[in-house]
Amino acid sequence: MTTVITRTTARIVVPIILVVAVSLFLQGHSLPGGGFIGGVLTVAAFTLVYVAYNLDYLEAGVLDREVDYDRHIGQHRTVAAYRRLFVFGLAVVVGSAVAGLFVGSPFLAQTYTYVHLPLFGEIELASAVVFDLGIYCVVVGGLLTIFSVVGAE
Amino acid sequence: MSLLALAPMLAVLLTGTAALLVRGWPRLQRGVSVLGTLGYAGAVGSLCWQVVSGGAVVYQVGGWRAPFGITLVADALSAFMLALTAIVAVYAVVFSVRFIDDRNQRVYYHPMFQFLLLGATGALLTGDLFNLFVWFEVMLMASYVFVAFYGNAQHTAAAVRYVVLNIIGGVLMLLGIGGLYATTGTLNMADMARVLADPGGVTGAVVGLSALIFVTFALKAGLVPFQFWVPSAYRAAPLPVVAVFAGATKKVGIYAIIRLYFTVFGNADLSVAVPGADAGSSIGFLAPVLVLMGVASILVGGLGAVTRDSLDELFAYSSIGQIGFIAVPIGIAAASTGSLRHLGVLAALVFAFHHAVTKGLLFLSTGVIRDAVGTTRLSRLGGLADSSPAFASVMLVGGLSLVGIPPLAGFFGKLFVFDAASRRFAVAAAGTETTAGAAAILLVLVVGAVLTILYSTRAWMGAFWGGQTEAVVRGRIDPVEVALLSTFAAVVLASGVGFEPIVQFADAAADAALDTDGYVDLVLGGERS
Repeated sequence: MTTVITRTTARIVVPIILVVAVSLFLQGHSLPGGGFIGGVLTVAAFTLVYVAYNLDYLEAGVLDREVDYDRHIGQHRTVAAYRRLFVFGLAVVVGSAVAGLFVGSPFLAQTYTYVHLPLFGEIELASAVVFDLGIYCVVVGGLLTIFSVVGAE
Repeated sequence: MSLLALAPMLAVLLTGTAALLVRGWPRLQRGVSVLGTLGYAGAVGSLCWQVVSGGAVVYQVGGWRAPFGITLVADALSAFMLALTAIVAVYAVVFSVRFIDDRNQRVYYHPMFQFLLLGATGALLTGDLFNLFVWFEVMLMASYVFVAFYGNAQHTAAAVRYVVLNIIGGVLMLLGIGGLYATTGTLNMADMARVLADPGGVTGAVVGLSALIFVTFALKAGLVPFQFWVPSAYRAAPLPVVAVFAGATKKVGIYAIIRLYFTVFGNADLSVAVPGADAGSSIGFLAPVLVLMGVASILVGGLGAVTRDSLDELFAYSSIGQIGFIAVPIGIAAASTGSLRHLGVLAALVFAFHHAVTKGLLFLSTGVIRDAVGTTRLSRLGGLADSSPAFASVMLVGGLSLVGIPPLAGFFGKLFVFDAASRRFAVAAAGTETTAGAAAILLVLVVGAVLTILYSTRAWMGAFWGGQTEAVVRGRIDPVEVALLSTFAAVVLASGVGFEPIVQFADAAADAALDTDGYVDLVLGGERS
């Protein structure tokens, strides 16, 4: 799959996918979208990079780090980072779900407020974004761990 | 007070996440997992106390009122099932620390164990049909990992079979739930019960749609003809997890059947003519299905267990048979009304309790043998009683309870099942119906009991009596594991000797299962919490 056509397409498409993913993630609490779908789209962008280049491109080509090819893929630094992202995301989800209990609200309760920023105008700040961020991290971390390990086999 | 309904779920959720966070420190992770499970048991215990002494509690997650939000409902039925889950879970997790070798414990064993528990707990507590599906999936995701845990060809094959089967089951359940949502306009179980109780409402399609969901519940419970995943999955998964599979997650399928058909459909006028069903019962259509599946399970499980060579496979087949003993009284309850219906559900719950503790003990005992000898094949075992008389008596307690010898837990389980079956026979004999069906049920129950005696005797004598084989002489039984299991055996014994509180609790659970109006009031009538 690592043809010139795929690579060129990936170069153009990947940034677009990432931007759409972020916008879906940010609007998720009041419009269609959210952490899950944003995360899945992000994973799609990463997977496209993996398919068009290779599994080590992210580490060697983008981050410009040494890749230890002898180690099992599960021990690669990117995969370890995905795993940490997954655990971090889960902690954020649980933390934001429990947070309400400490201020006397029910489990998983969410709230929102409006703030006025110069240039931007009214902006809605929702606590659901924190929960969504956790889900986003779980989805990205979990799926990318699976894809890199299974992809290497 | 309503926070108590959330407490068990919160305990496992926090423990599972904490176990992931401290993954780099294996000893700490084990400590977190064991302490968290004890905390879970504590939460379940205080919830049970609240439910028994002060009545059921409801928790509206996120502050969204039923029927719009997701409601957690902890009534006596949920609390009873949670209690038996908690007992098995505590012993399984402590046993795992000793039984599973260090390297394997590090690969997400403890977090996955907690998430398995989380799925079961969520399914038992939720008051929302779609949420039930989600918790089933959580439970399944964790069990997929455990079936494939050891990662050899045999385990992977079992896992693939298990995954494919459960995905099909999940799709059917989703179709059924979607259909129920389309016909009744709600997913909240209490609200659905209210809509269905309305005379002239949509009811015809509900029966067919609920059958789709029923298939998934039966698959989860491992009833014939959906039993074929059980032996291979149970042989593949780590034995402490199998104790939880057999003791707790199978019972979630049984719980879901009772909750959906008796609580939600209890007041509905689902007049569907099915041959063999009592026309006076609103869910009579369920009776022939459940009784047939239960009877087939008893026979298939019993005959399978008698012929198996390895202990874990023998007990896996035995689980299939014992689930049949739970399904038959539920079927009898579905066919009847009034006190016999109550007795049927009560018998199923008492038997479920007995099976959870007894089979939990037996699977963990099998773990001790696997740990000491390295095999569970009866042909390579023998004379274990000479190595450890204490362990022999622990497993004897489990075997005798399975057979149903008083005063162990199993005796009362069987007593209630036979009581329900013989009363059904008496009802049939007194009325104009033919007694052949009720007599056949009784006959199969007797055959099932005899088969249980056969395979329990065979398992115990094969492993503990006779001359010591070479493998047994070389093996060494872990005294710590035996000490742990002897306290579990004491629980089995105590739950038989001090049976009164358990039967009262089960009685309250059966009351809650049949009290549709009370359930609707509880969920929809309560003020915002």
